[in-house]
Amino acid sequence: MLNISIVSSFYIINGYGAVEEIDPEFGQAPIIDGNIDDSTGEWKEAIKIQVNLIDLPIDLWVMQTNQELFISLQLDLEPGYHNTTEFFGILISTNSSESQEDFIDAKFIQFFNINTNNFTYYDYYINNSLFLNDTKSDGQGVGKLEGTVSVYEFSIPIGQTNTNGNDEDAFLEYEMSYAFNITYGDRPSYPEGILKSEIILININPPVVKELILTELILRIFSIIVFSIIGILFGYYIYKIFKLKEKIERLRS
Amino acid sequence: MSKIPKDQIKEQKSKIKRRSDDKFAYRTVIISCVLSIIFYAISLLFNVGVISIFTNINILFNMLDVLIKVATILLFFLFMMISVGNYKELTGKPLNWKELLIFIVLSLGQTLLNLWVFAFTLIGLLVIIIYLYIVQEL
Repeated sequence: MLNISIVSSFYIINGYGAVEEIDPEFGQAPIIDGNIDDSTGEWKEAIKIQVNLIDLPIDLWVMQTNQELFISLQLDLEPGYHNTTEFFGILISTNSSESQEDFIDAKFIQFFNINTNNFTYYDYYINNSLFLNDTKSDGQGVGKLEGTVSVYEFSIPIGQTNTNGNDEDAFLEYEMSYAFNITYGDRPSYPEGILKSEIILININPPVVKELILTELILRIFSIIVFSIIGILFGYYIYKIFKLKEKIERLRS
Repeated sequence: MSKIPKDQIKEQKSKIKRRSDDKFAYRTVIISCVLSIIFYAISLLFNVGVISIFTNINILFNMLDVLIKVATILLFFLFMMISVGNYKELTGKPLNWKELLIFIVLSLGQTLLNLWVFAFTLIGLLVIIIYLYIVQEL
């Protein structure tokens, strides 16, 4: 236990204060599949910055919707330099505090063979520096190696209230700031496998109420009117068909 | 030698043929109308946005979504034209331009929420009308 605590002291507070404070933009929710599809403008609205995990530069993309916070981490290394069992993790504080004891939630995308894109998403809670499996896994995470870039995509639910007294997750509330510890490691062992980390602050923005543009609303109403008219005309036409049948039978007799 | 005059036999044969044609036309009116209603229902689901299974996944699925929307509207138009055309035939009047225009307006009215669907439907309608016009002229 002592051994773990010493190691965890090293990995969690690696930086001295958050290096970045991010106000994520709202946008279309990306598909968490490890692919960044430019043809559909995926992650288009994300805040894109470069963060150094000590001496390891990574691309960090952050965006949100009303229900989820999306984080993408991308690591570009020379061919053959990616560790086959590399991972990225996000340790989440219960608030903007960067104290070790406030980081209670951890989400990892762990590769077991990066060359075959064999990975697992883990949702842990941290209790006395021990990483324990959540009874219910929240969020999503997918990793993929594309050429020389390993892409990690996370989605974390926001705006959920902790009604069950759940202490396994950091519940991200609107209009609050949270400290996120971005960690990188090379083997599926936590916290021993963690090599580099950096803390960032993310401010969760309040939900936006989608305002229907007036023209869109008018078009929608017109569309419904057109479909209703067609429906009524169908009714009238069916009535006329039956009347015609009666007429034909009358003429025959 | 038959006691029934030849003209009478001819008339009877013509009557039977006419009845058979009427029966066929009437059946076409009903079947085409049913198919038109089915495509109208599918169009309603997709074009009003009740179902949006293909949108925002990638460009291929977006194209598939547009294709389904356009196809259902064009099939609605085509079967409705066949049904009403045969109906008018049975009543002894031809389908006029005014009715054709109503069908075009009702078909395009279903495309109001998507510019791509509108454009492709318009092209499709023009193709169908030109085709029907050429067939009639020949």
